[in-house]
Amino acid sequence: MTSPPTPSLRPVLAAVLVLSSLSLAGCGDGASDGAGGDAAPAAESPPAEPLGTSAIAGVVRFDGEVPELRPLNMDADPACAAKHTEPVYPEILAVDDQAGLANVLVYVADNVPQGPYPPAEPPVIDQQGCRYTPRVAGIMVGQELKVLNSDELLHNVHSLSEVNRPFNRAMPAAIKQATFSFTDEEPAFRIKCDVHPWMSSYVGVFSHPYFAVSGPDGSFEIPGLPAGTYTIEAWHERLGTMRSGVTLLDGLTATVDLTFSLPE
Amino acid sequence: MMDAMFPAAASEHAGRIDNMIDAVHYLMLALFIVWGVFFVYVLMRFRASRNPKADYVGVKSKMSTYGEVAVAIAEGILLLGFSIPMWAERVDEVPPDSESTVVRVVAQQFAWNVWYPGADGEFGAQDLSLIDEATNPIGLDRDSEAGADDIWTVNQLHLPVDKAAIIHLSSKDVIHSFNLPNMRIKQDTIPGISIPVWFVPTKTTAQIREETGNPDYVYEIACAQLCGNSHYSMRGFLTVHTEEEFQAWLDEEASYLTGSDDDFFDF
Amino acid sequence: MAEPVHASPAHDEHHHEQSFWRKYIFSTDHKVIGVQYSVTGLAFLFFGFVLMMLMRWNLAYPNEPIPLIGSLLGDNRAPGGIMLPDFYNELGAMHGTIMVFLGVVPLAVGGFGNFVMPLQLGAPDMAFPRINMISYWCLFMGGVTMFASFFLPNGAAGNGWTSYSPLADIALNGQTAWLIGMIFLITSSLLGAINFITTAIQLRAPGMTWMRLPFFCWAQIVTAFLLLLAFPPLEAAGVLQLMDRVANTSFFIPEGLVVGGEVLDRSGGGSPLLWQHLFWFLAHPEVYVLILPAMGIVAEVIANNSRKPLWGYRSMVYSLIFLGFMSFIVWAHHMFITGMGSVMSTFFQTTTMIISIPSVIILSALFISLWGGSIRYNTPMLFALGFLPMFGIGGLTGLPLGLSAADIPLHDTYYVIGHFHYVVAPGTLFALFAGVYYWFPKVTGRKMNEFLGKLHFWPSLVFMNGVFFPMMIQGLNGVSRRLADGGISYDFAGEVAGLNRMMSVSAWCLALAQIPFIINFFMSIRNGEKAGRNPWNSTTVEWLAPSPAPHGNFDQPIEVVRGPYEYSVPGSDKDYVPQAEPAST
Repeated sequence: MTSPPTPSLRPVLAAVLVLSSLSLAGCGDGASDGAGGDAAPAAESPPAEPLGTSAIAGVVRFDGEVPELRPLNMDADPACAAKHTEPVYPEILAVDDQAGLANVLVYVADNVPQGPYPPAEPPVIDQQGCRYTPRVAGIMVGQELKVLNSDELLHNVHSLSEVNRPFNRAMPAAIKQATFSFTDEEPAFRIKCDVHPWMSSYVGVFSHPYFAVSGPDGSFEIPGLPAGTYTIEAWHERLGTMRSGVTLLDGLTATVDLTFSLPE
Repeated sequence: MMDAMFPAAASEHAGRIDNMIDAVHYLMLALFIVWGVFFVYVLMRFRASRNPKADYVGVKSKMSTYGEVAVAIAEGILLLGFSIPMWAERVDEVPPDSESTVVRVVAQQFAWNVWYPGADGEFGAQDLSLIDEATNPIGLDRDSEAGADDIWTVNQLHLPVDKAAIIHLSSKDVIHSFNLPNMRIKQDTIPGISIPVWFVPTKTTAQIREETGNPDYVYEIACAQLCGNSHYSMRGFLTVHTEEEFQAWLDEEASYLTGSDDDFFDF
Repeated sequence: MAEPVHASPAHDEHHHEQSFWRKYIFSTDHKVIGVQYSVTGLAFLFFGFVLMMLMRWNLAYPNEPIPLIGSLLGDNRAPGGIMLPDFYNELGAMHGTIMVFLGVVPLAVGGFGNFVMPLQLGAPDMAFPRINMISYWCLFMGGVTMFASFFLPNGAAGNGWTSYSPLADIALNGQTAWLIGMIFLITSSLLGAINFITTAIQLRAPGMTWMRLPFFCWAQIVTAFLLLLAFPPLEAAGVLQLMDRVANTSFFIPEGLVVGGEVLDRSGGGSPLLWQHLFWFLAHPEVYVLILPAMGIVAEVIANNSRKPLWGYRSMVYSLIFLGFMSFIVWAHHMFITGMGSVMSTFFQTTTMIISIPSVIILSALFISLWGGSIRYNTPMLFALGFLPMFGIGGLTGLPLGLSAADIPLHDTYYVIGHFHYVVAPGTLFALFAGVYYWFPKVTGRKMNEFLGKLHFWPSLVFMNGVFFPMMIQGLNGVSRRLADGGISYDFAGEVAGLNRMMSVSAWCLALAQIPFIINFFMSIRNGEKAGRNPWNSTTVEWLAPSPAPHGNFDQPIEVVRGPYEYSVPGSDKDYVPQAEPAST
């Protein structure tokens, strides 16, 4: 903080600086981390075991012609361009050769079993090669969303949430990690980097752990549900939302395949 | 005098601006030296130990009045001879579009979207509802009359050398400031208003690299107005080409358009 | 509203005993209020300085953890001690706001103006003592609001002290608190300004004609007019921006904003430039609010310590009034690159060149006043003399910025920062220090220590220049202001980024150089050399009152019989002739 003071003055200076900074520092401990608001108070300790043994599994597919998109303008930041040898395409519609649609957030929307729930695995979103990995994630209210910065670059993590308090945290190269939490349920909203406008990810906030994101092949699984009849919803950033009903029998996995197509 | 401090000049008017800043600094230096010499002399000559009894009247000469008149005249010359005409040239004497490269730059937190009219020389229509940060940051309507061939880039401005460039500046969100240090161009981008700036780049990127002996030298676009937390990193690039290189670059950019479906999600 | 002014100071001999609260906290005595203002101002100057020292760490060592205190700042400001750019922006905005509105103005106007001006006028108090008290407590509330805003979940305001819309309208940080704080501070200044003007018009001692007013009083009067006329537009603008933030209005928000890729849900139709006009309509006169009291103090100290009258007193006063008038029609020179046409730019750069002339006249007069003097180099004089060349540099570097064409490459660069800091830091602050050393005996009855004073002055002079001169070089190089990493993101700015370390080390050394002042200040209150009524052998009226002066100020009626600076009058046996004498009746 200071240049070398003369020996006799050093303690005075140190005291002065520390005292005056304490006033700033004092609140640092009290304020919650990030703009995500205070974490929801922990209820009674959550059960370790799932509430049931049934599961919903399936594959999300895309029906239609996959558009040819032009590569991202990564030359906007040469440091990003340097991280890739191949052109990078927008991930807004990730379809594999079996028509499996990735990055679909599937969740139980109706008749959700009563908690307390065993917690879901808290998501970790990495900023790597000027992209977010994963692109879509679900999180429970009060859980910690960890955002990593594996690039030696400035990114800023800007949430466009409308129910939860939005945040906008710059992460310079030296800052490797930031954590955020959310106070309320909210349908998937965008988290983006304003320095690299193509960088977007989406997070949905749930009060329960019954959500999943489809993998590269479009497959997903929501385990640990008690038997019963549910409505599930599938959300895609461009293609919108679709719903489906499903009845689960104890200990069995029900298969629900979903197919998105372009709106008319 | 101070050329060593300025970023390498690379536009037609840059030299005149630099000369003017030099001239002002000569005036400042002259005033400072006159005041300074007088000050130091007075402090030594009239210290109490040397001059125990002060003079009630002090200076009788009218020198200071003459000095003040001289300063006023010098300022008048700077104003009438340099600043006012030079400013008029910047804002009133914009060359006709037909003789210029016309570009739009749409600033946003924290990037510069560069928009070329394409082969037809006309800009397509803009529709805010079409804005998509990844695939269409300017909200270009590809279906509009002149929109099909428009080209946009992020942070990459390319211009041909020795030809006037007219850049229409606007902003999507907050006030930014479009700063080309080498071109001696700086202009705020104000949301809701489109403001043109113009200049004639006189040195290609290749030339300036040779001149500075730095093979990695780039003309930078800097944001000069606080625009948010990543303001300090809102960096763009200007590449100045020969006319042929510029055409080749435009053609390459246009080639990405064929078969591309960048308005695929405009629903 | 006015408390009846004591017709004769003799009444004060038997005024009723006041409680501690009435005497020291909610006092209506202009001297107590002046001291309250001064202490508040000094405390906030120190706080603003600490903010700046933190910023200078990130400029010199971007992305490196702040030693010692970094880990105390909290994860939302400096995780792992590494300063976040948001926090840097908060520090920047609050440094500017606090230094201007809570540091210099309270000290220069509220402190010195309140304490000294009534004494120099020969008045028993301010015209409206209760308004004076309310004015201070408004300032106090504003200060508390600003300070407390650091503790908000999203931090303090971080949109520059200029708070340009629409950034300030849509920012997630503590801009709302900033606006509320500003409304308190502006209200305080408006109340104070009315009081100052009325006092100067109504409460001058018998014989104190306008051309017998000490230059300091003239400076305070012109300053009060600037505050009174320039602040209301900003108060209105502040309320409008507050409405934009809390009531979703669109006074400064144009149509069709797209933030983060989403169309902003506002009607639009407002003008971002309107904010800038309203802001600078205050903020340019505000520059003169910062500098005119400083010039006033320097004039007093120089006349006293050169032991001769001010040279060209009348032309200085006329220049001052002209300066005050002109300061209202130069504001848009802060806005040359917002897209200004040639008519507007011609007008504003011409007025800007014209306003430099009265500044040159005043500065020249102060220089020339030294000629033929018998100069005493005590601490107040050293600071006053230090002011002259430092303010000179500050003023001169304003020239290229005031010429619109030369402003293009220099606008919003460190050249601007260097320019106005030379005006207000080694300029105004030096003058304020001169004032503290000069009037300390009148406040406490004791002088401050000369040795510690010199130990304060010389390192301060060196390190002030160490902080601010390299800014000119960076500015000519084109380095933008308000870059959280000091410019290393840009190649062209990186060339001179190395200067940042030198500037930062100078800033921290400058902090060390203030330690003798702090020690001296507190030590001298009890242990300083005892001062009589007039320790500096001064001519002006305040030195006829006892030190410290009682409630009601003068222990005998006085009458002003001559001009303010009758030093070394030929034929007089002393080298000074006081401006006033005990009244004959």
